[in-house]
Amino acid sequence: MTDYGQDLLFGTFITPTAQPVHQAVELAVVADRAGLDLATFQDHPYLPKFHDTWTLISYAAARTTRIRLSGNVLSLPLRQPAVLARSHASLDRLTGGRIELGLGAGAFWDGIEAMGARRLTPGQAVTALGEAIEIIRAVWSSEPGPVRVNGEFYQADGVKRGPAPAHDMSIWVGAYKPRMLRLIGRAADGVLPSLSYLEGGPADYAVINQHIDDSAVAAGREPARIRRMLNINGTFSGFGKSFLNGPAEQWAEDLAGVALEHGVSTFILASDDPAAIEEFAGDVAPAVRELVAAERAH
Amino acid sequence: MKHRLRFGALVTSVAEARRAEELGYDLVAVSPDERDPWTLLSWIAGHTERVGLAVTGLDAADREPTVLGRAAASLDLLSGGRLSLALTGEHLGEVTDIVRGVLDADQAGPLRYPGEHHRVPKAQRGPLPAHRIPIWLTGTDPASLALAGRTADGWIADLEQVSADELVTAYKIIEAAASEADRDADEIRRILIVDPDRSAAELSALGADTFLFRAAVLPDLTAWETLRDSSGPSVFRPASVRSKRRDGIAYDELPASLAATAVEPGDLDYARVRSTYMRGGAPGLVLRPTTTAEVVEALAVARAHPELPFGLRSAGHGVSGRSTNDGGIVVSLAALNTIEILDEARRLIRVGPGARWMDVAHALRPYGWALSSGDYGGVGVGGLATAGGVGWLARKHGLTIDHLHAVEMVLADGSVVRASATENADLFWAVRGAGANFGAVTSFEFEAYEVGDVGFAQLVVAADDPADLLVTWGRAIEAAPRDLSGQLIMGPPRPGQPAYAQLMAVVDSDDPETIIEQVQPIAAIAPLYQQEVVLTPYAGVISNAADGGYHQGVGEPTSRSGLIEHLTPAFARAVVKLLASGAVHWFQIRTVGGAVADVPADETAYAHRSANFSVIVMGSSKQRVDAAWAGLAEHFDGLYLSFETDQSPERVADAFPPATLARLRELKLRYDPDNLFRDNFNIKAAAR
Ligand SMILES: Cc1cc2nc3c(=O)[nH]c(=O)nc-3n(C[C@H](O)[C@H](O)[C@H](O)COP(=O)(O)OP(=O)(O)OC[C@H]3O[C@@H](n4cnc5c(N)ncnc54)[C@H](O)[C@@H]3O)c2cc1C
Repeated sequence: MTDYGQDLLFGTFITPTAQPVHQAVELAVVADRAGLDLATFQDHPYLPKFHDTWTLISYAAARTTRIRLSGNVLSLPLRQPAVLARSHASLDRLTGGRIELGLGAGAFWDGIEAMGARRLTPGQAVTALGEAIEIIRAVWSSEPGPVRVNGEFYQADGVKRGPAPAHDMSIWVGAYKPRMLRLIGRAADGVLPSLSYLEGGPADYAVINQHIDDSAVAAGREPARIRRMLNINGTFSGFGKSFLNGPAEQWAEDLAGVALEHGVSTFILASDDPAAIEEFAGDVAPAVRELVAAERAH
Repeated sequence: MKHRLRFGALVTSVAEARRAEELGYDLVAVSPDERDPWTLLSWIAGHTERVGLAVTGLDAADREPTVLGRAAASLDLLSGGRLSLALTGEHLGEVTDIVRGVLDADQAGPLRYPGEHHRVPKAQRGPLPAHRIPIWLTGTDPASLALAGRTADGWIADLEQVSADELVTAYKIIEAAASEADRDADEIRRILIVDPDRSAAELSALGADTFLFRAAVLPDLTAWETLRDSSGPSVFRPASVRSKRRDGIAYDELPASLAATAVEPGDLDYARVRSTYMRGGAPGLVLRPTTTAEVVEALAVARAHPELPFGLRSAGHGVSGRSTNDGGIVVSLAALNTIEILDEARRLIRVGPGARWMDVAHALRPYGWALSSGDYGGVGVGGLATAGGVGWLARKHGLTIDHLHAVEMVLADGSVVRASATENADLFWAVRGAGANFGAVTSFEFEAYEVGDVGFAQLVVAADDPADLLVTWGRAIEAAPRDLSGQLIMGPPRPGQPAYAQLMAVVDSDDPETIIEQVQPIAAIAPLYQQEVVLTPYAGVISNAADGGYHQGVGEPTSRSGLIEHLTPAFARAVVKLLASGAVHWFQIRTVGGAVADVPADETAYAHRSANFSVIVMGSSKQRVDAAWAGLAEHFDGLYLSFETDQSPERVADAFPPATLARLRELKLRYDPDNLFRDNFNIKAAAR
């Protein structure tokens, strides 16, 4: 049992479809009204069927009032670190602190290259992501003098600092493999894998935790401060059938189990169905919170 | 002046942007500060409704140009076509080319751009923005000015940084570069950042057409309003757009009300309106009226071009109706799409022709009502409710037109009339089955009926003996209670694979036992491969079309229709031969009969009331389809025009029995003697 005692967050993973134009925004509004904590959007700039995710997030932020928003996750190879830092900080200030930074090292390199960006090997991509995080934090920091990061893949020489985000913004990284997980342990604030990519199901989280915790400890960081997150998908149905396929009570038990067993504290539902989003917010989230709180109180 | 004068405001916050919007400013522009300007602009877009949006200068180095193109398309779509893109930085020629290449979604093939500084191997294009996003360039050095002259849609300068004299020189350089590049310099907007302490005369002396005021407190526009009102037209089409115009169309004589929404071949929106669901098209002009009065004007334009093809369109699902064409005029009623409840006690509703049937179903659902239309939710009210409407509840509730109480329509002479059982009764008779020959219906009044949840069965059955299957299915349908309507779909035999048929049925009952009891005899006609029976709102059955997007039909469909009373063994054998020919890829039988047959044949222009079945085939080669179809002809008694692409006089005679046709021809002579309405089963007017 690994429970880091993190407060629980529940969110949606919304397809940033460009057709119908406002569908993704409307789903964010549904999630906002339903009381979810997070509205997140995938980022595949090489696919024209999707909106530009950052533009969508900025626009959706204007149409919502309470919910926090982030990429899930933004494709670093097609977005520059200093611009990511400035744009996130800008929107965080405009929204009064509702923005987090979800970042990925890049997944579909053919698409990335087709758009005109460089192709990196998996190892290079980890290094590049580490450098990017360094630049982003440097832009946000209030230290004197300009940013100077001289990396192998990113150089920021004399970039002006600021603006700083309105709140202590988290950097959440989509990751599965050891090198990336170790980077998270050293430098990021959360890990954000998708359940559908975990071959062994939620149990794979044990290995994810192991890598992150070891690396955090080695870097002198507190493992419990690194948020464990999970994109999930499932079906609400009349009677329990299998993991996340059943009524809301069963979902709650399934998720509470993952929270208590692996310390996962953020569940992000991949769905474009308003009814499912509402059921997740209204029936599942409170029940998970209750189950987890009861267990933690023991 | 070629352009309409515009006034904008430099803003730094939502509050200022909203203030500018309230004051009637045309646009707001953010100038970069410590914050990311694109983020601020997107945020402002989400907080405003109407005002144009720009950044005074977006550093092109901040984004991969391809990503910038996508981002621009997104913001333009999300904001409803309000974006202008002003760029600063290096290699702007290349960046502009790439951004435009991404935005040009209608262009075939990926974007390949082997620039010196920016290389794009093969980026997918799109999404298509909401309007043609103007790209403004900056920079006062000769190279920047020349670039603006060669490629930009606008050039932006700040009067704090250039003097009025330098401005004159700059405009000259831009003009020279434009003409060297064979462009009309008038295409390039001149945007100027100024302090608002100038009179109208001083402003107009500067030679710009867009003024962005830099002011702590925004002035209202009264001092300059006259200047704006006396300036050029609000729609400006550059030569590159005008060059795609087709012959014989008086583009520049459109009334202002139509000009604002009209689409011509060079326009960005052309991709969205040129084709329909079933056909590819290349019309010369698409008019998009938004009111009945504008429909009157649009029909006048069509009347003024008698030698060109003319198509009337509602939601663009015409099979028989040529609602697109090549080089002609299309009047699209898509914007007339309201759905209103007129009288809740009598279940009276009023629907615009541009509404889609799935939208109607969703609007009626909260009342527990429905109106049977067809089997596809994307089909429009306009085309279907002027022809018939063979839908999922046809045997129980009859055709869609059987629930029509009245229409408002614009006739060929431009008059707007109401037709109902008591007003213009002949027209009302004609509209219900041959409406496309008599006018443009601008609203329909229906009486909806109560429909609770319904049973929806989708079965796949073995068709080892297809002829036998057809006959037994036909008998089962005829024996079924009227609650049940349905259809059968069969494909050509595929070597080495078992033959099967898809059977669908809707049972208008919310009682599971009744549903099973009524579906059972249908399911029992052959061994079942698959079955799914669900209880669903009627709206759930018809919500089967995608939202968003636009029609991208290509080519010309071939579809044949026949109405038949009983599926006899001889007919079934002929069908088996037709399927074996391989000429058709789609074979479908829909149920009519029941309540459809309760209505006397002479009550509406849709007259073939005795048929129990409507048979449809589609194929790609007209010749082969016709040859195969010929074997079935003797079994039919008439056709349903909505599924027939052959428009010959013989088919018109198949659609309308002699007495009906004779009456229609008399009415055609009375209401449309010059044959304005001719895109769908054209009826020849009786001799004068
Ligand atoms: C996928 C699909 C499924 C279908 N299923 C069914 C079905 O189940 N049952 C059924 O009955 N039909 C069905 N149809 C046929 C359909 O009803 C007709 O094609 C109908 O004309 C489509 O209407 P629309 O407004 O979408 O088409 P449009 O292409 O906009 O119009 C077609 C024609 O209708 C006429 N028309 C359109 N609007 C008006 C108006 N306001 N006033 C006067 N005339 C007008 C014009 O002649 C025009 O050419 C189907 C068609 C398709 C493509």
